[in-house]
Amino acid sequence: MVGRDFDVRRLPGFGLIAVLTVIMLYLPIVILVVFSFNAEQSQTQWGGFSLRWYEAALNNRQVVDVSLRSLWLALAAAAIATVLATMAALATTRVSRFPGQTMIYALINQPLMVPEIVTGIALLIFVAFLKVQTGYSGMGYLVVAHAAFCIPFAYLPIRARLETMDLTLERAAADLYATPLQTFRYVTLPLLVPGILAGFMLGFVVSLDTVVITEFVKSAGQDTLPTYMLGQLRRVVTPEMNAIATLFLALSLVIVTLFFMISRKRG
Amino acid sequence: MTEQTRHEIEITGVGKVFGQGETAFHALRNINLTIRTGEFFTLLGPSGCGKTTLLRVIAGFEQPTTGSLSINGQSVVGLAPNVRTVNTVFQNYALFPHMSVAENIGFGLKMLGRPRAEVAATTDEMLRLVRMESMAHRKPAELSGGQQQRVALARALAPRPRVLLLDEPLSALDLKLRKDMQSELKRLQIETGITFVFVTHDQEEALTMSDRLAVMNAGQILQLGSPHEIYNAPSERFVADFIGETNFLNLKVTARDGSGATVGLPGGATAQARLAEGISPAPGDTVPAVIRPEQVQLCPPGEGDMDGTVTGAVFFGTDTHVHLTLSDGQPFTVRRQNSADQPEPANGTPFGLRLTPGALQILRG
Ligand SMILES: Nc1ncnc2c1ncn2[C@@H]1O[C@H](COP(=O)(O)OP(=O)(O)OP(=O)(O)O)[C@@H](O)[C@H]1O
Ligand SMILES: [Mg+2]
Repeated sequence: MVGRDFDVRRLPGFGLIAVLTVIMLYLPIVILVVFSFNAEQSQTQWGGFSLRWYEAALNNRQVVDVSLRSLWLALAAAAIATVLATMAALATTRVSRFPGQTMIYALINQPLMVPEIVTGIALLIFVAFLKVQTGYSGMGYLVVAHAAFCIPFAYLPIRARLETMDLTLERAAADLYATPLQTFRYVTLPLLVPGILAGFMLGFVVSLDTVVITEFVKSAGQDTLPTYMLGQLRRVVTPEMNAIATLFLALSLVIVTLFFMISRKRG
Repeated sequence: MTEQTRHEIEITGVGKVFGQGETAFHALRNINLTIRTGEFFTLLGPSGCGKTTLLRVIAGFEQPTTGSLSINGQSVVGLAPNVRTVNTVFQNYALFPHMSVAENIGFGLKMLGRPRAEVAATTDEMLRLVRMESMAHRKPAELSGGQQQRVALARALAPRPRVLLLDEPLSALDLKLRKDMQSELKRLQIETGITFVFVTHDQEEALTMSDRLAVMNAGQILQLGSPHEIYNAPSERFVADFIGETNFLNLKVTARDGSGATVGLPGGATAQARLAEGISPAPGDTVPAVIRPEQVQLCPPGEGDMDGTVTGAVFFGTDTHVHLTLSDGQPFTVRRQNSADQPEPANGTPFGLRLTPGALQILRG
């Protein structure tokens, strides 16, 4: 660790920059949350504490529908992405080095590098073509698009875990008569669980968040929570939107906290 | 006796090269070695000399670049580790962190598809053998270094391998525990009758535990023999230097006979010397020779084979190392047993040096 001689807190301007950064990060969110409890329909005038907007949100059929759709879409996409990411991580760490390895690494991480809007437009054109050709316009497109988009987020923690895992453990298993499949089943996989969980959580949160991809791929009546909110914002903005956003934020926080707790315990 | 002399592992002309072309590195060079059934065999050598590589070749984690290898009379070149009847105790133990002590020990048998009852019974037996019964349900992280070491040993022994490979299993332990584990290992080896191939860079450990040992350097085996042979009749300077303390002298051969030579000592006297295997110096040649410090006695000046003057003395409890300069200027050390009435020799005191007959050894090269 850094010794006493170098402490960044002593650098000029450290305190100011830190305070400004925290304000930029959290003040807007704090205001959003505070006004979700406003008794009046204003984003600037405080009219006393009330839960009326939460009541309105939870009684809104549409809000409940899009929320449930978002959740199961995220679950399905994260599950698919995690399985694929696990296989990709194994294929990039548990093999002898081969030419083109870096290339494959880059390919897997495509969604991190290609601007989301570009992916969105590409998907829009591609999916529109498929819809016309096949006549199918169900949720399948969203599931596949989200899963593909989530792969790198699931891949990174799984790969990180595999890279820090002691290779001699797998060697020891082979030494003790385990076939390659048994080695994977009894040694690699159990030790990989924290990485897989982390990958799943990240994929889940990313899918839950994504607006651009969903917006370009969805058919009518396939709104997710973020695209629904975006649509509502084009009309009147009531504190009901604050309430929905606050609930959404709470859900994300719960998931991220869970993720930290699990990875701390298992790691 | 017949059991003792059966060949468990035969290594013929094995070489291992890492990398290619410019960066090629010869980790093993032309290793020829026969390990007998039921013996405690040790590979001894400095760090980086290829000990682990040789073990990995035997276990099947590494394929030899050249040469052949057979275990119990069958060639195993190309066979995967999981089909070799060889188990390894790894340098860092490599216990499965997510399994209990008992699960670790039973792993090999479980993979072999043995019935559950047999796995449980053998696990219990192994726990008893390494005296870990009370900790069967702990995880490896909850064990001390010595306890982990014993679990690693039990895990490797449980499937009853023909050969157990041990890669510096004691190097992480403190001195006291190390001594305990040395005798424990020896006891286990005798009780199970399994062939042990043990790697260490600690010469004392190698001498006390082995039936036979091979001294390695730079990917080659320099000398192979019993601890007694290696210590008393080293064949070259590296071996003599690596094992114990020794005196090096450059001496002139004055006469040859069948198995030895007569050499001229500093001061003019002569002495009989043994020859390392495979050398045949002619009278008149100057040859390197060694003699251990405990094979020389101090006596009054002029009464020994050589004369020297004390330049220093270091007290070691049971004995004292007396450093001298010989009459021709070569440095020399004598180990003298301490007794209460003997004063420590003062610097500048002249002494005679009497060599134990037959203790002088002429080295190769
Ligand atoms: N996979 C590899 N690629 C390249 N060089 C290697 C590889 N494995 C080992 N070596 C080299 O081979 C030599 C012998 O290594 P090895 O691990 O057998 O040494 P060792 O005798 O076990 O040493 P130590 O006592 O430090 O464990 C070393 O110089 C090492 O750098
Ligand atoms: Mg080693």
